[in-house]
Amino acid sequence: MDEYALGVLTNIGLFSFVALSAYLLLIAGELSFGQQAFFGVGAYAAGSATAMFGLSLPVGVVIAMALGAAAAALVALPTLRLRGLYFAMATLAAAEMFRILFELIHWQLDVEGELVGPDGTQGFRGIRWMLESGVEPIRFAGIVWLLLVLVLLAFVYIENSKLGATIRALGQDPTLAGALGIDVQRVKLGVVAASGALAALGGALFAHHNTYIEPRNFDIMLGVHSLAYALIGGLGTALGPLLGVLLDIGVLEASRFLQGYRMIVFGGLVALLLIWRPRGILDEKVLHWLRARFS
Amino acid sequence: MAKSALLLILALLPCAALAQRAKADLRCTPSGTDFVYDCTIQITRESKPLSGLTVVVGADMPSMPMAHSVKPVKASPGKTPGEYRARLELEMPGEWAVKLRLSGPVRDVLVLHYTFRP
Repeated sequence: MDEYALGVLTNIGLFSFVALSAYLLLIAGELSFGQQAFFGVGAYAAGSATAMFGLSLPVGVVIAMALGAAAAALVALPTLRLRGLYFAMATLAAAEMFRILFELIHWQLDVEGELVGPDGTQGFRGIRWMLESGVEPIRFAGIVWLLLVLVLLAFVYIENSKLGATIRALGQDPTLAGALGIDVQRVKLGVVAASGALAALGGALFAHHNTYIEPRNFDIMLGVHSLAYALIGGLGTALGPLLGVLLDIGVLEASRFLQGYRMIVFGGLVALLLIWRPRGILDEKVLHWLRARFS
Repeated sequence: MAKSALLLILALLPCAALAQRAKADLRCTPSGTDFVYDCTIQITRESKPLSGLTVVVGADMPSMPMAHSVKPVKASPGKTPGEYRARLELEMPGEWAVKLRLSGPVRDVLVLHYTFRP
């Protein structure tokens, strides 16, 4: 496999984490335009852990996920009372606050004679864990996809458990779920924190794949795309967001001949698809049909 | 004595690591075809040109690095020591983060911001 194909495969895996984080919120009935913030928190946290303090990537990932969950919970505490469009706007505003915060952070340490760390709008260079650990791109892609498979298995397990039914009940009708004895605020807070941790996991891996991050990497474009992946792929199963990412990257790669116009074409295709299938390709109806046919 | 030697080695380690860091300078001009640029890269280490490297050049748009990227191309050696040349086919002009993946005598990844003008 050539380097470019391997890069595309790794990017599909990396995008899938942030798409799954948006999916988790969607099935809980919340629309977030702010998942890129927690992706960014994960990238900066893990990048700092390995490049500035010499910690290993697994430790950096754990720190990133903890901080991503904490940041998401911090945003959720004052905003969970909001519903629908108001919650979506609040998450977008919070994500912009995080992006501006990344622009304001100037914290560099002298590591082996070189200044390493976040340098505001100049970005954070020198996240060289892959190079210094001798991890080849194919092995890193393997790490990304192994973690993605583990996350998907966790989703399948949770979705077939009582917790999964509780989350979907919240997404369908929170008032009814509350009347049935579900602690709506507590479960939602947990879902938001888990989605933050998931996005941060993707961000941590992204920082090490890219070796360089900057605040612009975590702007609204990534938030819109992550939401679009979940909506295109479908809300019936956790495989939906993965399908959404595969379609997006696949269409974008296949339409390179259109140059800068390919995003316009892609946007049009997304709009048509969502008119045809508002809950995505792998929605609940398709899942029921597949289960009935193959069980 | 052994302790002093160990301290000396530890003191010299950063210098050795620093010596391995390469720097790059990038200049790109429009080729005459829309969004296609001819780029000249000068790679140095401690102000001395670095020749004999394999240099793979890619580029990402900072606002969507995983989706708006350029298919990486292998740079060919230029006319002077430490010089490499590559042709980049972008989607649009503007600011791009150009990524240089170095292998051979030096293994590193360098990221440079460059504004491509129409």
